Amino acid sequence: MYKNYAKQDVGNNEVALAVRLASMKTLTPSPDAEELDVTDESLLIAVGNGQNVDAFNQLFKRFAKKIFALGMKITRNEQLANDLIQESMLNVWQKAPLYDLDKGSAKGWIFTLSRNRCFDMLRKQKRQPNCISADDIWPLESSAEPTMVHEDIGGQQVELSLIESYFDRLSDPQRAVVEQIYIKDRTHEEAAAYLQIPLGTLKSRLRLGVAKLRNLIGVNE
Amino acid sequence: MNTEVKLHPSTELLNRFVQGELVTGKSVVVSAHMELCESCSAKAEELQALAVSSWIDPGSALQPDQSSEADYSNMVAGIVKSPQIKSEQIEALVEVDIDILNHSIKLPKVLAKAVSQGLKWKKVAGGISEAQLFLDSETLCEFIYMAPGCQVPLHTHQGSESTLVLDGSFEDELGEYKTSDFIIRDAQHNHQPRSKEGCLCFAVLDSPLKFTEGFARLMNPVNLYKFKKATSRVA
Repeated sequence: MYKNYAKQDVGNNEVALAVRLASMKTLTPSPDAEELDVTDESLLIAVGNGQNVDAFNQLFKRFAKKIFALGMKITRNEQLANDLIQESMLNVWQKAPLYDLDKGSAKGWIFTLSRNRCFDMLRKQKRQPNCISADDIWPLESSAEPTMVHEDIGGQQVELSLIESYFDRLSDPQRAVVEQIYIKDRTHEEAAAYLQIPLGTLKSRLRLGVAKLRNLIGVNE
Repeated sequence: MNTEVKLHPSTELLNRFVQGELVTGKSVVVSAHMELCESCSAKAEELQALAVSSWIDPGSALQPDQSSEADYSNMVAGIVKSPQIKSEQIEALVEVDIDILNHSIKLPKVLAKAVSQGLKWKKVAGGISEAQLFLDSETLCEFIYMAPGCQVPLHTHQGSESTLVLDGSFEDELGEYKTSDFIIRDAQHNHQPRSKEGCLCFAVLDSPLKFTEGFARLMNPVNLYKFKKATSRVA
C-alpha cells in the first residue's frame, strides 16, 4: 500500500532513477546522466536520506550558476557571489534532511536558503550587528520537533478498534507515516527512507497525523 | 493578525524584500508588517514563487570563477564531509512587550528579536520619545512613541521613511494611520504627524528628515548629526 504514497510524492520512476544514479557511484558518469529526467526533489531526498554524493553533485550542477546569479543580483560583487555558491550548497547538504516537500519545491527551498545565506554574508561583510539574521526576517513555518510523539497516542486506555476506525480518517500520506512509526516501529530515518520522503516531511506529516488522532480520540494536548 | 490593515508596502517593495535586495532596516520593517498583515504575507509568498520560477543561470557574459568541473568537484568533496542536521534547533522564542501608558504591546517577532539587547528610550520634545535600533549602516531605525495629543513639527524627507504603526494611531495632512498600517513618506510629502490617542511606531529612514517650518528648522543640523551617528555606529 505504500507504493501509492511514494507515487504521490515524487513518482516511483523518478525515485528509481535517483536510486540508480546513487548506485552508479563507482562508474564513470555517463554523459547523459544529467539529462535523465530526475526531479530536484528526488535528488534532494537522496541527499537527505542517504547522504548520496552523486545526487548532491547533480544538484550542485543544476544550482551553482543560479546561486551565483542570485548573489550577483544582490551583492553586485563577483567574489561574494562566488563565495555564496559554497555557503549555500554547504547549507543544502547540511539541511537536506529538513526539507519538507509538503511545503514547496526543492528549487524554492534552495532559493530560500541561498537568499538567506546571501543576506547574512552581506551583513557579516559590512560588519553589521548580529542581533538579527535572515532566518528572523524570513521565518520558517514552525518545524519544531513533534513533542510527546513517542508516548502512547491516547495517553490513556482507548479501545484499539476505535483507534483503528479513526486511523482510516487520516489522509493516505499521514496514515503511511503513523503506521511506519507506531505499527512497524521504525525509526524516523528508516521510515523516511522506506517511504522515500524527506525526514522533514515525515516529521511534519507525523505531527499532523498524531494531532488529528488525538483530536479524534478526544485527548487534549 | 489584523485583516483590516489599510496601508501596505508596494508590490515593488515586497518584491525587493523577497529577493533579498533591501538593507536590513527596511527588511525588518517590511517583515514586521507582514507578520501583522495576512494579505501581504500571502502576496509575498506569490512574489517569491514568481522569483523562484524565473530563477535562471546567469547570461554567458557573467560566469562564476570556478565553473570548471574540477573546481566544482573539489568544492563538493569538501562540502560532503560535513555532518548533516537531522532536526531544526529551535531557539526559544523571544517575547518583548513594550509598556506604554496603561497597557503593554507585544512586538512582532522580528522586532522582539532585534530589541532583545534592550532599548534606550530618550525623550525628545513635546511628548515624543524615541529609542534607536542599530541594524545597518544605511538607515536610521527607531521606535517612536507619541503621547496622546502631541505632534511632530512639519517636516519632509530627503530620502524615504517607512513607518509601521504598532499601536494606537496618528494623523497627518494625508490621512489617519492605525495599528499595522505601513506608510511610506518621501521628499514629495511635507507632513506634520500628530496623535490624538497616542501612538507607537517603528520607523526606518534612509536619510535624515528635514523640518520645514519655524524654529524646528534649527533642529535640522541635529537631525543630520543623529542620522550620521546612527549609521556610522554600525560600520
